[in-house]
Amino acid sequence: MLKIENLTVKYGVIPAVHNANLEVREGQIVALLGANGAGKTTILKTIMGILKPAEGNIYYQGESINFFSPPQRVKMGITLVPEGRGIFNRLSVEENLFLGAYHRSDKEEVEKDLNRIYTLFPRLQERKEQIAGTLSGGEQQMLALGRGLMSRPLLILLDEPSLGLAPLLVRELYSFIANIRKEGVTILLVEQNATMALKVCDYVYLLETGVVKVQGIAEEVWSREDVKKVYLGG
Amino acid sequence: MFSLGYLLQQTMNGVVLGCIYALLALGMTVVYGILRLINFAHGALITLGAFFTYFILVRLGIPLVATIFLVLGFGGLMGLVLDIVAYRKLRGGPEVALLITSLGFYTFIENFMKMVVSPQPYAFKTPSYLTTIFRTSFLTFRTIDLFIIGASIAIMWCFHLFIKKTKMGIAMRAIAENLEVASIMGIEINRVISVAFVLGSALAAFTGFMWGAKYGQISYDMGFLTGVKAFVAVVVGGVGSVPGAMVGGVILGLAEILSTAFLPTYFSEYRDGIVFAILILVLLVRPSGIMGVKEEVRV
Repeated sequence: MLKIENLTVKYGVIPAVHNANLEVREGQIVALLGANGAGKTTILKTIMGILKPAEGNIYYQGESINFFSPPQRVKMGITLVPEGRGIFNRLSVEENLFLGAYHRSDKEEVEKDLNRIYTLFPRLQERKEQIAGTLSGGEQQMLALGRGLMSRPLLILLDEPSLGLAPLLVRELYSFIANIRKEGVTILLVEQNATMALKVCDYVYLLETGVVKVQGIAEEVWSREDVKKVYLGG
Repeated sequence: MFSLGYLLQQTMNGVVLGCIYALLALGMTVVYGILRLINFAHGALITLGAFFTYFILVRLGIPLVATIFLVLGFGGLMGLVLDIVAYRKLRGGPEVALLITSLGFYTFIENFMKMVVSPQPYAFKTPSYLTTIFRTSFLTFRTIDLFIIGASIAIMWCFHLFIKKTKMGIAMRAIAENLEVASIMGIEINRVISVAFVLGSALAAFTGFMWGAKYGQISYDMGFLTGVKAFVAVVVGGVGSVPGAMVGGVILGLAEILSTAFLPTYFSEYRDGIVFAILILVLLVRPSGIMGVKEEVRV
């Protein structure tokens, strides 16, 4: 579904990602793990079209999307749920959700999806008129996810969804992510919290200072002693 | 001399001027909210709009309703052209480049007008149906005063609904808050920015018409100080806030007229200075304006 070939992304002259090769197959959850500054977010932003690759190609459904703008990529079914939630703090909860479906013109279906999100997250319905900036951290994360789903993505890019959440909420979040996959959405997940991510994902890439160091099926990577030591804190 | 009637009369004059500032401030605040641009070109549109209506309404005698639509269309078109030809290419560059461009456009238009229509002010002979005088026991006013107040309220109401309820309005607020996230929502940023310029410029041209019809005189440089004052109204009301722009505009208009009316005559020359004194006072007490939200620092 998504294939990244020899991707190099630079901030100025400094490469943030160097010669990375990644593949996400349809229906998979793929995790991109690594420490702060490893280049995970950079890869997601490049897939979304916010950053331009210095070298390399990104293929989505067999087609090179290097020259497509972010809105075009949204229309093709790619959605990014940004780090730090990236919700619009000054807009209401419902306006935020509505913006997720901005590119869609099927009003009735949008309405249906809105109700579906409200059933999934009843808290959001209770607070739909509220300004999003006043929500709690967990609620904001729900809103960001709900907004992402409003675009009816085929491929959803989740950037650090568990950041700043209480452990109980993290578990809830991950069972939710597993549910999204069951509905047929392919997921590329970026996390520092490797333990949780490894439990749900099919395939893993470990990134270190912009270079893919380890890759493999989740269980295999999970059981490798050297990986545990370096990346998973023992 | 300072009777109730006098106070009411001056208040009304202040409100009329305030409406003009408020309409200008609306367009400026939306553009500033999105691009962080103090759009001096807005002032040029006032001048252009005033002369445009002068030629079609006063010289050619085109009916009022048609004139209104024509001047709105003319302003909107100028805004679109300006955005596509000048501003769009600078996006992503330093913000100061936009500022210099807008100042450059203003300077160009001012000098262009000076050359084409002469440096002398023109008398804007308002059609008689706009100057019919009404007298009540307290107030004396003309049709144009009612027209300005009525049209301004209608426009502000529509603008408020537009920003609050429509898809485009929500997109504008989203872009103003976070451009990058807005783009990954699938919002075509350039299109929304163009709409902001078209709306703002149409309103600016329209106020040029109001200005001419109300004060009876237009000149090649009329847009500068008016534009700057409109920006003061934006800041006083709270940058990026649509209701703030309206409130700021009316406050400024009232302050300007009432201070001239009630302060000793030798102060009247400081009329423009008083506007800026108010700006400083408001900013000392409320740094983000009357209805503004505190701005996060953008890197």
